[in-house]
Amino acid sequence: MRLEAYQHGIYPRSERLVRATRDLDRGRTNEASVQDEYRRDTDELVAIQRAAGLDYLYDGQLSWQDHFRPFVEHSDGLATGALTRWFDTNSFFRAPVVTGALSIDAPGVPVAGVGGGDRLVACLPSPYAFSRAAQVDGDRDDLMLDLARDVLRPVAARAVAAGAALLHFEDPWLAYFGPDGDVWSALGKSIEEVRAGLDVTVVFHTYFGDAAPFFDELRGLPVDAVGFDLFATDTDALRPGGDKACLLGCFDGRSSVVERPEEIVRIVSRLLDRLEPPGCFLSSSGDLQLVSEQLARRKVEALGEAAAALKEVVA
Amino acid sequence: MNGPLLMHEVGSLGKPAWRVKPLAGGELTPDDVADARAWGERLGVDDHEQLVELLDRGEWGEAERLELKRWSSVYALRFFESAGLDVIYDGEQQRSEMYAWTVAHATGLEPRGSVRSFDNKYYTKSAVVDRVGLREPYHDDEFSFLRSVTNTPLKVPVTGAYTVGAWSFDEHYSKGVDLSLPLAARREKSAAARREMIVDIARNVIRPNLESLIALGAEWIQLDEPAASTVPDELDLVVESFNVTVEGLDAYFSTHLCFSDYELFFPAIDGMSGCRQYAVGFANYDTRELGLSEDARCGYAIIKKFRDLDYAPALGVGVIDIHTDFVEPPELVRDRILYAAEVFGDPERVHVTPDCGLRTRSWDVAYRKLESMVAGTEMAKASLGI
Repeated sequence: MRLEAYQHGIYPRSERLVRATRDLDRGRTNEASVQDEYRRDTDELVAIQRAAGLDYLYDGQLSWQDHFRPFVEHSDGLATGALTRWFDTNSFFRAPVVTGALSIDAPGVPVAGVGGGDRLVACLPSPYAFSRAAQVDGDRDDLMLDLARDVLRPVAARAVAAGAALLHFEDPWLAYFGPDGDVWSALGKSIEEVRAGLDVTVVFHTYFGDAAPFFDELRGLPVDAVGFDLFATDTDALRPGGDKACLLGCFDGRSSVVERPEEIVRIVSRLLDRLEPPGCFLSSSGDLQLVSEQLARRKVEALGEAAAALKEVVA
Repeated sequence: MNGPLLMHEVGSLGKPAWRVKPLAGGELTPDDVADARAWGERLGVDDHEQLVELLDRGEWGEAERLELKRWSSVYALRFFESAGLDVIYDGEQQRSEMYAWTVAHATGLEPRGSVRSFDNKYYTKSAVVDRVGLREPYHDDEFSFLRSVTNTPLKVPVTGAYTVGAWSFDEHYSKGVDLSLPLAARREKSAAARREMIVDIARNVIRPNLESLIALGAEWIQLDEPAASTVPDELDLVVESFNVTVEGLDAYFSTHLCFSDYELFFPAIDGMSGCRQYAVGFANYDTRELGLSEDARCGYAIIKKFRDLDYAPALGVGVIDIHTDFVEPPELVRDRILYAAEVFGDPERVHVTPDCGLRTRSWDVAYRKLESMVAGTEMAKASLGI
């Protein structure tokens, strides 16, 4: 079985970058200085991932103000709406508002923004989460398809052209709230819209809730791997079978406690023995923006340690 | 401290540049000093020229910094008094921030770096690393000073225990997550640890701080719980922590609930009988149309549930939207109040407030909004024959 590790989602900014963006808001610095800080943070994050031995690298999405904002800001037919609580956290996002027909200026959305010949991860909001977070008068499943085709697909295609080897869909919505009806067919079509013809591995990752009740439906999606949050999922209820790899979110993106790699190795080994998936990715449960950069760095390092040890186990 | 359509503010007010910059190591501009002079004149602040002289000197030792904070408090008090409010505070001019200020005066917590709230707004999130306690009462100096410079009734805003807990990591009570346990057992363990932590914050940090304030003469204390609806399953814990904080203490206790789905609070707050008043934001959800119809006043539909609470608390009805510079006309304020008074059938149980603290607005906008709130309240009183 192949086991690989990568980090996903919005990564926290360094204290330096936090200060720089705050200063920019208050007119105390200029855009060029802040862009320098972004580059420095990105370079440091890439170095951390390399040092940790992760199999795919990513740019940390450091300029993203929330999971939807870059898409909203570069799309016709979407506007920025009310500040809304991000699930049961003390962080907030601006709900996208659908105002008309959708189209996107894909080059404006920063994804997979690191190069150097590494295998890259591009993280996108899942079309399901995007359609449920948005304010819209019409049918949300129709919106999901529209978002997939007109907003996410152009960005995904551009990311793959820029070197992304793995497309990671972030979906906290499904597991936290549960599916709001028989969404699977529309979700499958939406994912197909995004990935059709692209030479890329696709991971659909759920978090913030228990994915076990619909694990079979998730495995039926047109993806290569299904991810779940070990801290919120009833793993005892997961049944083996299927041809999909899994992503195990085994570093808690909501906790300041840094997991011990040997403990993660023990838990993951036991789970892999039971589920026998054809492949496995290791990562954090959700993205790491809910902890500080100092803590996130330690979690990425621990992720690398755990992955290295597990590769020996599964070999 | 009661009366029909009692007017008060909710908490924070923006800190003036002349107070912020010197304390952050920044340089004052001539405009900052002119602003201090202009507001001093506008609000009728006694001896405000002394502040201007202090700013002109530009020497910032410890004594001068304290003096600056106190001037800022005096300005804020006069700001609210001059606008015409019945009950005031100082817009939290002497505090850093509602969470950080509490944590800085507690034991058992350590900072864990900056975590995003939204956009470029971050806060320093702390972790509970040991059993929490109170290092020292943290509003006493501020309250004593304010009491010495105004005769207007004061309402002290204090961050509530649930919010302090919800905004912190826990590295002590839960001791991490044991992934080898079944999910149900993990959830049970996590909930028990969370409860123990938040009740400890209530009992060991917030309550003794209130006891100290009450000993100094504080009569009205508002427990701010902006995090109250973060976890819908924990509303009983919000109520329990409030009750542990105030039970048996002799003061008028109220709470402020921020922008949420207020339906979530029912029926949990049936058990929060020590709360004599809820200050709740509604204007943010309302239309700007005049009138008393359900459609025009759609933002206030939920207030019936507050009316029907057995222990008959007052409701601080938010009539001013703090998210926008739009200055509500007095007629709109009047209609929002009259709607609430009609629903409650008793204007004694209706207080008039902004939706939340005004710190996101400029002083100019905030002042005009408050003037309008006062004018609208007077119109409502006239209409009700009060």
